[in-house]
Amino acid sequence: MRRSSLLVLLMLVVLAIAGVSQTINIWIGGQVAELDETWDMIIGKFEKETGQKVEVQLFGFDIYYDKLLTALQAGQGPDLAFADLGGWVPTFAEKGWLEPMGALLDSWDGVEQIWPNLWPTVIYNGERYGLPWYTDCRLLLYNQTMFDSAGLDRNDPPETWEELVYQATKLTDASKRVYGYGVSGTKTEHTSLAFIIFLYGAGGQLLTDDYSAAAFNTPEGLRALKFYTDLALTYGVSPNAVTYNEDDYRNMMAQNRVAMAIGGPWSFPLIETANPAIVNNYTVSLHPYGSTPASVLGGWALVIPSVSKNKENAWELAKYLTSFETWMTWIEAKGGPMPTRKDVCYAAPVLQDSKWQVIFETFPFAVSRPPIPQYPQVSEQIQIMIQNVLLGNATPEEAIKTAEANVNAILAK
Amino acid sequence: MSTLNREEKSALKMVLPYVILTVLLFVFLLGSNLFNSFTDKNGNWTLQNYIDNFTDPVVGRTLLNTIVWVVGSVSGQLLLGLFVALLLNESTKGQIIFRSIILILPWAVLDIVAGVMWKWMYNDMYGVLNDVLVKMHIIRDYIPWLATENMAMLSVIIANIWKGFCLSGMFFLAGLQTIPIDLYEAAEIDGANSFKRFWTITVPQLKPVIMTTLMLTTIWTINYFPLIYTMTGGGPGYGTETIVTYIYKLGFKFMEFNRSASLSNVLFVIIFFIAFLFLRSIAKEEAR
Repeated sequence: MRRSSLLVLLMLVVLAIAGVSQTINIWIGGQVAELDETWDMIIGKFEKETGQKVEVQLFGFDIYYDKLLTALQAGQGPDLAFADLGGWVPTFAEKGWLEPMGALLDSWDGVEQIWPNLWPTVIYNGERYGLPWYTDCRLLLYNQTMFDSAGLDRNDPPETWEELVYQATKLTDASKRVYGYGVSGTKTEHTSLAFIIFLYGAGGQLLTDDYSAAAFNTPEGLRALKFYTDLALTYGVSPNAVTYNEDDYRNMMAQNRVAMAIGGPWSFPLIETANPAIVNNYTVSLHPYGSTPASVLGGWALVIPSVSKNKENAWELAKYLTSFETWMTWIEAKGGPMPTRKDVCYAAPVLQDSKWQVIFETFPFAVSRPPIPQYPQVSEQIQIMIQNVLLGNATPEEAIKTAEANVNAILAK
Repeated sequence: MSTLNREEKSALKMVLPYVILTVLLFVFLLGSNLFNSFTDKNGNWTLQNYIDNFTDPVVGRTLLNTIVWVVGSVSGQLLLGLFVALLLNESTKGQIIFRSIILILPWAVLDIVAGVMWKWMYNDMYGVLNDVLVKMHIIRDYIPWLATENMAMLSVIIANIWKGFCLSGMFFLAGLQTIPIDLYEAAEIDGANSFKRFWTITVPQLKPVIMTTLMLTTIWTINYFPLIYTMTGGGPGYGTETIVTYIYKLGFKFMEFNRSASLSNVLFVIIFFIAFLFLRSIAKEEAR
């Protein structure tokens, strides 16, 4: 009697394990946990339509990279995962951790709806390894109340670097710790992103077209580095740059302490949470530029780890998530982020608001970060270069030369 | 085996599977770290990872930073710990409450929480530390605590002293309470003043405890990672980059697992050597 009941129990356990392995595991990173309910709704619909079981795990941005990296390195991981468009996809693909998606994408009717400047971010050695899911580009986020009180036109943000300095100086009152523009100078990705905007805005370029060498030690690059650091050092329109980045500035902006900083569509809910009274008193515009309009794009792609045992269903889920209908439902519920599908951008009523129109106009100017596995190290050299100038350890000329040499050494390996 | 009695034998059998598992896991991890450190990305045998450690200028800088970080933190923790332990040793009433509040509290705060808390306290726009100092007229303008390399190092050391002095204090307090009171009474009768009593009775009696605490806190501080990582991330520049934050960065940010493994092995040898020196001197002390 006891033995037979044990047997039944064992069978149940085996069934349960078999059942579990049939579910699709999806890891979502970079999304704040408050989006949980929307995910439940979207995924619930998929489960009902297909009869598949989906296990969703949400991770905060801070831990997600380590978590995903450790899992993939150990030969484990989900069936479908989010990967940052800032170089994760080629990095993981180089290690052989991702399933090629080219053939699958060719069989899908949504490809031409994806913004074309997103594809380079998911390509490694000519093969596509991801499906961009949501995107964004960096713009100038500014506080209109502060523009009013400084006697500036709240609908006429700076367009060029000269105007930026002029307006930022008017907005700054250092004795009250109120500043015109926030220069990101922390040793984080924010600093590299900001530099890329200034670099391309001066007509420069980060790496050569084939990503084999540094291309920023040019008169344009030096001009960008000088201007960017001068905002903090010479013009004094920024809080202490090495300790802050755009996330800090967004919070200071919510409290009328910093008037302008780099931001993007993701900033809207965050700044409104920080200070509900700021609604209608902040907006975005194209970031001021030196000679050509510029922006950096970011976002997340869906990737299928090569260890997944459920790849077909994972692809079905990826298609479902990236479909026109799902995106329209999502936008209606959440109002953002920016879809990678052009048709949704143009069709969703919420996205017809003026802030979003600025974003769609800017997006074609947006460049991606070099989609190469060495990007994190290149990025660190950029951060070190800017910090060295901000800390007075080196002149811009010296710093840019050192950074060029170091980046070339990294890329030559 | 023959010296074990029956109970001990059966106890040994019970724990053996777990001991074996733990040891195997330990051996496997150590072994794979060694293996990784001597291979390149394609799995070929190489010494390049170790050579890189000696040619990379950042490693030298982190080594120097680690020394400053350890000397500053450990001396601060030990001195403050000793001071607090001496104070607490005097009071007998309500000792448990004092001990738990003063000593355990900073130590029990989670590393990440402590890091974020100190980061905000040091903030040069809103920071409470600047605010208090200005209101006390000690400084005139807000100090950007984490904005230059040297100040940032000083700031993380201060935070680490706060975080760690409690543990040294606990050890010292336990040590102080083992010193027989008759020693002090005898010295008092002989006319020794309180400073002399401290110097000739407390310090020698406490020496074994001090040595052990010094060894443990030194090793812990070398390996201590979360506080620096949350407060400065190793910056500004390489100002607060210690060996462990650099090992982490090499592995998890740059995905150079092999170099990361080799540097952590170098660190292991350094720590092993430090521990060896301490243990030898402690053993000598005991033999005397």
